[in-house]
Amino acid sequence: MNKMVRVITAFLLFFALSGASAMASDTIKIGVQAPTTGQYANEGQGIDQGVRLIAEQINAKGGILGKQIEIFTCDDEGTAMKAAICAKDLVNKGVIGVIGSYTSTCAEAAQATYYRAGVLQTTDGTSDTLTEHGYWTFFRNSFPNSAEATYTANYFINVKKYKRIAIVTDFSSYSTGLGSSVEAEIKKLGGNIVYQGKIKAGAQNYTPVLTKIKSKHPDVIYFSGYYNEAGLLRSQQMQLGVTADFYGSNACDNPDYIKLAGKFAEGSYLINVPSPELLPYDLAINFLKDYRAKYKMDPPSIWTLLNIDGMRAFLYAIEQTGTTDTKKLAEYLHTIKDYPGITGPIQWAPDGNRTGSAHQTYEYQADGSKKIIYPVVK
Amino acid sequence: MDIFFQQLVNGLTIGSIFALVALGYTMVYGIMKLINFAHGDLVAMSAFVGLSVYDQFLGGTTNSLVAVLTIFAATGVIIAMAGIILERVAYRPLRNAPRLSAVVSALGASLVIQNGIMLIWGPRMRFFPADILPATTWNIGGVYISFIQVVILVVSLLIMAGLIFFIDKTRVGAAIRATSIDHDASRLMGIDVNRIITLIFVIGTFLGAVGGLFIGLYYRGINFNMGWNYGLYAFVAAIIGGIGNIPGAMVGGMLLGIFKAFIAGYVSSTWADAFTFTLLIAILVVRPTGIMGERVAEKV
Repeated sequence: MNKMVRVITAFLLFFALSGASAMASDTIKIGVQAPTTGQYANEGQGIDQGVRLIAEQINAKGGILGKQIEIFTCDDEGTAMKAAICAKDLVNKGVIGVIGSYTSTCAEAAQATYYRAGVLQTTDGTSDTLTEHGYWTFFRNSFPNSAEATYTANYFINVKKYKRIAIVTDFSSYSTGLGSSVEAEIKKLGGNIVYQGKIKAGAQNYTPVLTKIKSKHPDVIYFSGYYNEAGLLRSQQMQLGVTADFYGSNACDNPDYIKLAGKFAEGSYLINVPSPELLPYDLAINFLKDYRAKYKMDPPSIWTLLNIDGMRAFLYAIEQTGTTDTKKLAEYLHTIKDYPGITGPIQWAPDGNRTGSAHQTYEYQADGSKKIIYPVVK
Repeated sequence: MDIFFQQLVNGLTIGSIFALVALGYTMVYGIMKLINFAHGDLVAMSAFVGLSVYDQFLGGTTNSLVAVLTIFAATGVIIAMAGIILERVAYRPLRNAPRLSAVVSALGASLVIQNGIMLIWGPRMRFFPADILPATTWNIGGVYISFIQVVILVVSLLIMAGLIFFIDKTRVGAAIRATSIDHDASRLMGIDVNRIITLIFVIGTFLGAVGGLFIGLYYRGINFNMGWNYGLYAFVAAIIGGIGNIPGAMVGGMLLGIFKAFIAGYVSSTWADAFTFTLLIAILVVRPTGIMGERVAEKV
């Protein structure tokens, strides 16, 4: 009797663990892991809304392989702890692919769980550590920090010829990763870094750090981190009379940055891949039109569109291979060449990095718009 | 030297906010021997209430002084009422229960308020407009002080001076001091202890509301979960000063602010928190009752 129970349990466990691809289901289940509440709520909701928009459009046309797409969203609140719980939750729901999360920290916390379950993952996280594990399930839909770091260092040293550089990061894996890559690249080019320090995200009061930076007389302050801190840093920097140029990294690209920095946003700089409204592709223009029609607002930033591109590539692979076997899908995704994305052509290196780079430098204008200043458009 | 004074100004500004919030913790503890963990969330709520008051009723007002006074008065009243409700619902039924039950109730109340803010105002960050107060900044020999920083410092000091006068020199203040020493004996002397406790919650949450509005006016971005952050530091400030002691909370808040600024300025911003909590442990090792904790008789 005991043996019988054990055999049955083993069978049940086997079926439970063998995942979605083994289970016959009449929908294609896609997970969204995004911070829909908390301090990155703005970005998280953008990702969730974008994914649901695409799913709705495809379902209206009859779905993929004759199946409807079903979306499951899990809110990771931008914290690693919640991200790990979300990963288990989504795997248990039987999703074959997960879109997200927004932050590298959360993507990294969930990564191993998806890998072990054989669930595909696509994130906009730019931290270089994300692709260092060699997980076949991982596909980055943005460009890694190392590409941005090379661009930033070259721009600071060879174009702007800054002599005294201050670098500020927070404690997240994205921020410290990008910050130390930029530092290494600047040193490689013989640049002079006069200050380097960390701030605590969410602390709001950054005047002590900025006063310390002021005593070092930098001609530029570079912050690799998120928009909330960037906005406060910029406004407190100007209130303290620190006249150095201010540059934010890619995650500072958000309308909330301008709201927090207020009138001081004007004249500050941003380094990022092009923002949604500056993308030249028809796909991008159409997506923005549909998004506005459905949600009565613009997507919060480029990060929504990058994640959508990851999702579109997954769905494209399902359509082309005619299967939901994630192993086969991953193999196929590595072979695609210049798949037309909303954010430009997509192809992946064997380690899951999206290849190419499209970084630009923007200057904020008095009306809050961004003007491209480098590379100079001919 | 200008850097030193700039850090002092930085520290005193954030220290004033810590001190205002810390007073709420310390006063409730002094009377009820209870850590009111929901206090930080009431502080966060006051920033949201203040913003709504400004948006809904004062949207077009250009007279900034009248607008600011209206915001503070309306928010103070609303948050004080929230404080009374909190005490009635979450703490009064547990007055004779074991102390741990009250702590759990406080933590629960904290979550209810935090999630309530999220449900009412949404999970996204909200912003105070930049033009409520003049954006003037003075440069005094290389030290930059903005108008809002002066307001925070002056108003905080005035409020604290008023509070000390109220506690030490008035009849109600004497009743509060008596209640903090012994509830039963106070009752025998004809003091309505329930009314004193309600009063303490009104004063404590009002001070917290002032702190919350300063956070909104100074840093401008407010978030539903920011109460934890400010609550934690204010709680630490209250302990450094000696919890239950009113001047202690003020000294603790100011010290914590200045200490954080100097650590970030002269040692390392990366390690600012580690040093802050090391300071807390060191103070508690040397003086387990906090800096001003020995004046037990005046605990309030």
